[in-house]
Amino acid sequence: MDFQELADVIQYDQGLTTNILKLVNSAYFGFSHKINSLEHAIAMLGVKRIYYLTIGSAVSPVLDKEVQGYDLSEGDLWQHSVGVALGAEKIAENSDIEAPDYTFTAGLLIDIGKIALSTFLDLDPQPVLNLAYKKNIPFNIAEEKILGISHPEAGAILLDNWNLPDELIQVVRYHHQPNELEGDKTVVDLVHIADILMMEAGIGDGQDGLNYRSCQESSERIHFDQIDEEKILVDIFTEINQLSGRFVNEE
Amino acid sequence: MKVVKISDMQISTDPNEKLVTYSLGSCIGLTLYDTEKNIGGLLHSMLPLSKKKKQRAKEKPFMFVDKGIEIMLTEMFERGAKKENIVAKLAGGARLLDKKNMFKIGRRNYVIARKMLWKNDILIDGEDVGGSVSRTVLLDIGKGKTILRINREEQEL
Repeated sequence: MDFQELADVIQYDQGLTTNILKLVNSAYFGFSHKINSLEHAIAMLGVKRIYYLTIGSAVSPVLDKEVQGYDLSEGDLWQHSVGVALGAEKIAENSDIEAPDYTFTAGLLIDIGKIALSTFLDLDPQPVLNLAYKKNIPFNIAEEKILGISHPEAGAILLDNWNLPDELIQVVRYHHQPNELEGDKTVVDLVHIADILMMEAGIGDGQDGLNYRSCQESSERIHFDQIDEEKILVDIFTEINQLSGRFVNEE
Repeated sequence: MKVVKISDMQISTDPNEKLVTYSLGSCIGLTLYDTEKNIGGLLHSMLPLSKKKKQRAKEKPFMFVDKGIEIMLTEMFERGAKKENIVAKLAGGARLLDKKNMFKIGRRNYVIARKMLWKNDILIDGEDVGGSVSRTVLLDIGKGKTILRINREEQEL
């Protein structure tokens, strides 16, 4: 997709155009002057970043809703998702890793499968909860055993149906099992650790709580031991409210 | 019902008021209640120590367990609460299922909370900490009761 093609597609959707401009003018990007047009935004950030921001902007209304099966109130999942997206980029920055341009959007999308599984979990959460908490089985594995599918897999299938790029799909699919992703693991490692930080901070924790396992190799690959975990949490916490509000459509 | 957000604290003397905080994760939720004066407070702190984060601690003192408890106690005393009448209850400090604990914030939050209370001669009358569940804590000012909610099930702490 080239520059003009992307601008042409987006500009017909006024809500989307407004959202993208709101985002690129947020403190997160830190441009010193105001960006007023879509063409200007694409010129500043590049086609790829605008493309990924567009995906993020499109899913934000979906992620912002209540997710009853996971006991998440309105806005909880969205806050968590924005925190993971921000966190992944901050960890990269602190570890001197160059975060690929789909890192942020991958972080936003990792838990989208929870929306798909919510109804099933809501019907009768007890078998999954029992397996997870009484037998200490990671929640995603308990989902798979009881419901036949885990939230990462459900998310991956959803994104595949939306024809989103494969690199996003794979990160969503393996965000609790980073070692199983074939190929470059940078993004999956970053979002895996950022997800854990958000769980610890209690930003958008639901019935699944912190009932997961961390991947030690992920921590090693991104040199997490050399990072000030608490500093990153403070930074995310400072930015999360401001940024999460930027995405959501104000009618 | 008043919601205490992450890195926040509220105190109330209104018997009709309930203070609640959601989704504790590794954070610490602390309720303090003076049984004579019926003054109650609820704190939700995310990180153990403010030492290396002075600027942030100035803007958001309740983000940190050490500063948070210090200010909470000061404000309780200013409103007339007495050390010997305070009932303290603690919840949160959850962690992942990992055997090797690389992510230790939950444990550290708990240790610092205990230490701060101990230093101030306040005994912990009830606690529910650790594990990998997310907790919700509610303080009923009228009844002086702390209610703990885990995965939609409630019990008194």
